[in-house]
Amino acid sequence: MKPLLLIGLGNLLMGDEGVGCFVAERLAEDPRLPESAEVMCGGTDMFRYADRMEGRSRVFVVDALQDKGEPGSVWVFEEPFPGLDDRQEHAHHLSVCQAMALLGMTLAVRFTLLGISIPSAAAGSGLSPALTSRMPAILDRVLQEIIGAPEALLFEI
Amino acid sequence: MKTVVIEHLARVEGHGGITVELEGDTVGSVRFDVFEGARLLEPLVRGKRYDEVAAILSRICSICSVAHSLTSLKATENAFEVRVSPQTELLRELLYRGESIESHALHLFLLALPDYLDYPSATALAADRPAAVLLGLRLKKLGNSIQEAIGGRAIHPVNAVPGGFGRAPAVEQLIELRNGLIEGVADAKAAIDLMASLPAADFCHSDTIYAALRANVDSYYAGDEVAVVSDGGQTIVPAADYRTLTNERSVPHSHARHSRFQGKPFMVGSLARLSVNPGRLSGSLAAPAARLDFRLPAGNPMDNNKAQALELAGDVERALEIIEQLLRARIRDEPPAPVHPRAATGTAITEAPRGLLIHSYTYDGEGRILSADVITPTALNAASLEAHLRQTVEQCAERDDAVIAKRLQMIARAYDPCISCSAHLVRRR
Repeated sequence: MKPLLLIGLGNLLMGDEGVGCFVAERLAEDPRLPESAEVMCGGTDMFRYADRMEGRSRVFVVDALQDKGEPGSVWVFEEPFPGLDDRQEHAHHLSVCQAMALLGMTLAVRFTLLGISIPSAAAGSGLSPALTSRMPAILDRVLQEIIGAPEALLFEI
Repeated sequence: MKTVVIEHLARVEGHGGITVELEGDTVGSVRFDVFEGARLLEPLVRGKRYDEVAAILSRICSICSVAHSLTSLKATENAFEVRVSPQTELLRELLYRGESIESHALHLFLLALPDYLDYPSATALAADRPAAVLLGLRLKKLGNSIQEAIGGRAIHPVNAVPGGFGRAPAVEQLIELRNGLIEGVADAKAAIDLMASLPAADFCHSDTIYAALRANVDSYYAGDEVAVVSDGGQTIVPAADYRTLTNERSVPHSHARHSRFQGKPFMVGSLARLSVNPGRLSGSLAAPAARLDFRLPAGNPMDNNKAQALELAGDVERALEIIEQLLRARIRDEPPAPVHPRAATGTAITEAPRGLLIHSYTYDGEGRILSADVITPTALNAASLEAHLRQTVEQCAERDDAVIAKRLQMIARAYDPCISCSAHLVRRR
């Protein structure tokens, strides 16, 4: 098992909201990705991949961030994710912060959230021009976090 | 005028949850706002080929992706008069049971249970009572494993295709699932015991109209007739006439259209399924139903949680039965039934975990979508939920905002609504 797992979250049919999945798809084919990292697209339900997180040294979650930041900005959040909305959702989902907290408790996994500021979330396939033009910089920044993680120096665990 | 607002129901800005206006003891307007992903994704399939549609529309919801995928396939097959094999019917039902186990476990343990035990969240509950949360996560994992083995991947199944399945699961996979389900029987019993131990949630009484698929067999997938039951009466609506059931109309305060049958709201979901098909409570579910003090006709929408717990136990048993049937019949790969596209309309109704799900498509002669209509259980429930929210406030003797808000949240959550789960965002505070 590779020590690092990166999960991209989002819906590919909801425009910029799917940026996490688009990033995961691009990174999976990026030769700069370290051998110690595995990448997957997790859709909109990270609980389904609990089995694949278990036993990892660290899990990076890439998700769209609804804020007033410059579109394409990448923000790094460590547990307990200060500044993020972690209220209980009323839908049949937990918020991403709650899901990470719960999975962290039950799987003993360390999570890092990489939030990407998006200008909008609306139905449609593909990213907006604003995010598309920023994609190389987004990938550089996400890779910087992965490569810079101490766990990236580990091999199979 | 006082306003009680419960926001943060939706992940998409501008769709804000529950708003109740009170004028003294009189309840003014009650508004429940849902962001409906289905409405936005319908246009995306126009012009798409029949064999692309299910994969696209399964992304309306991550929890109900199997339901959307299979209902989509059923609608397409109905349009082109494709008959699938008995093995395909069984595999699709098994896939559906996996989704139901996963969905009910998630809802009961991670969303409803903290309400009953007065915890602000599942994480807070897990800190104090880890065994309860781990029980729910084990059941959820069981449902996931069925979906992954049969559907071909953990989310948005790729293995179910028009006319059948891409490949049949290996015997070894089915045996592994069977072993997991045998362990799941004990977990489902523990879930019933846990639900039976919870404090009563008895603060909304209502004469409710229920609508669910009427099926001769215990199935979420088969069946083409909806039964609407109220006060002992029953009306049957064929799937092709679904618009006489839904009668959708836009309301200014919600993204979801509201449905009323003969002018009245109706409820869909677990409680409706058992109300329409009470025979399912005989046999092995009789004792769990008695343990939960679950009685029909149900006049308390909170009983939907009990109904989900009963279905969870029934799903595990039914999944085991299906696997035994498949193994006895010596499951094997079989080519999908041939599909011959033509200009036609096809409609399908199935029972998604949270109730009736309707897909209706009109195709051109080359098998491309001209129009698509997708009606989700959450949209069907919206008017009924609003009525129950109103009754909850009207029947609440205490005019304390915190008490009212807690009860409103519990009622909304009992419906297990799918609110904008086609989207997944993190928000800053």
